[in-house]
Amino acid sequence: MLSVRHLTLRYPNGTCALADFSLQVKPGELVIVLGGNGSGKTTLLRCITRTLAPTAGEVWLNDTNLTPLTGDKLRRARLALAMISQHASLVRRSSVLANVATGALGRHFTPWTAIGGLPAAELSAAYGYLDEVGLTHLAQQRAGTLSGGQAQRVAIARALAQKPKALLADEPVASLDPEAAEDIMRLLRRLAVEENLAVLCVLHQVELAYAYAHRVVGIRDGRVEFDLPRADVSRDAVKRLYMSEAA
Amino acid sequence: MTAAVDLRATKVRVFANGWGSALSGAARIVGILVAILVVIQSLIVVEARPQDLITGVHGMADIIRRAMPPDFSKLRDALWPALETVDIAIFGTFSGVILAIPLAVLAAANVTPSRFMYYLARSIIVFTRAVPDLVWALFFVTAVGLGPFPGGLALAVHSVGMLGRLFAETIEHMDMAPIDALSLTGARRIQIFTHGIIPTVLTSLVGISLYRLDENIRSSLVLGFVGAGGIGFQLLSAMNLFQYREVSLLLIVIFVIVLTVERLSAFLRQRLA
Repeated sequence: MLSVRHLTLRYPNGTCALADFSLQVKPGELVIVLGGNGSGKTTLLRCITRTLAPTAGEVWLNDTNLTPLTGDKLRRARLALAMISQHASLVRRSSVLANVATGALGRHFTPWTAIGGLPAAELSAAYGYLDEVGLTHLAQQRAGTLSGGQAQRVAIARALAQKPKALLADEPVASLDPEAAEDIMRLLRRLAVEENLAVLCVLHQVELAYAYAHRVVGIRDGRVEFDLPRADVSRDAVKRLYMSEAA
Repeated sequence: MTAAVDLRATKVRVFANGWGSALSGAARIVGILVAILVVIQSLIVVEARPQDLITGVHGMADIIRRAMPPDFSKLRDALWPALETVDIAIFGTFSGVILAIPLAVLAAANVTPSRFMYYLARSIIVFTRAVPDLVWALFFVTAVGLGPFPGGLALAVHSVGMLGRLFAETIEHMDMAPIDALSLTGARRIQIFTHGIIPTVLTSLVGISLYRLDENIRSSLVLGFVGAGGIGFQLLSAMNLFQYREVSLLLIVIFVIVLTVERLSAFLRQRLA
């Protein structure tokens, strides 16, 4: 289970990006975070992955508190926490298969992987992850030749190769057309359920949240506005999230 | 009312643009005058005497006459030094690339592990580049004796400076998103380097290295003048012995080498682009 407890991030200039923010994501659950620009959504994910150090609060992944970790301990803890972002962030000149298999590098530190090789077992396994996202036929193609939707699927397959306990997604459909966006959200929900993953996804598309989330968390000015099963989230509550932005 | 305000704003803009144009026009004239002065002072400093060039035409024509026809009987003797010249450049470029890559990673602000390493690597790069390859060749001739090896070493060290700087700039301008993504998978620093940074910048690195090989071929010709092997050494010997027909043959061989490597390098760089 991914558990964020009383997370606060205050920048040196006094701006409070997150204020006493708490949420939990259980295995098998897709939780979608909605909020306006600058509300703290991406900051939340960056604090969870510890690319930003929170001022106060804790992030727990099962029995591990990630907050005080640094160096190699943090690197090892990150193995259980996969992340996909708005842009797929693939190595464009490498093959799709190689990109997927790099997700497993953290578990294999050998002279072979240090000089640029990939473990044979992980390359075989990568076919399986590509099968999960429906792209086995593109395994040998260069990543730079993929469409936005295909690249995002490869990024998800790379995240699966990491064998994570939790998957974080930062606006994964922001640069995709509506059909590709639906595909990715359907995939994230299926993976949450079938792989028993705790999936935390930041989105701008309210309709996708209504369609695919198990739970929706509203965030405004770095605070939790609501944390409800999707059926209980009212349109007015969502509208209020974006009011300060509109004003 | 709005129209009047807009009109005033337009007038102010036109007025401002007029001043701006006048200033930029004056700046342009000053720039041209400065450029002319710079060229004139260079003519004075180099003691340029075009009349001497005209009166010296006879001397040049005499050398060209004595260099004709090229002495093709010496072609066999020129082949080994020619190969040596190419190999000095290949050795220098290859060794330079091997040494420059890790230095460039340390000297790239976006991936360097620490500020100390950054400044240390930058200092090495600047120093090896600042010392001319001819000086490095003299240094290595003193250290390891005459022959192609000091030439290769001189080009390797000088190439570290040139390649290190260009490689570091390439790394600094690369897309960091795949690198950050790899870092979040829990990959170690060396794995991020070999699986993320190298594949991302490889095409540019190979292109730069080929361009450097092209440059090193020309440099290795000159290095022969200080005893660092290759066809340059033979060219200097022929000139000292007034064997101008051999000189013209060697110049033809040099022309063929330079042209071949230049075309090959351009072809490969185009294929990689």
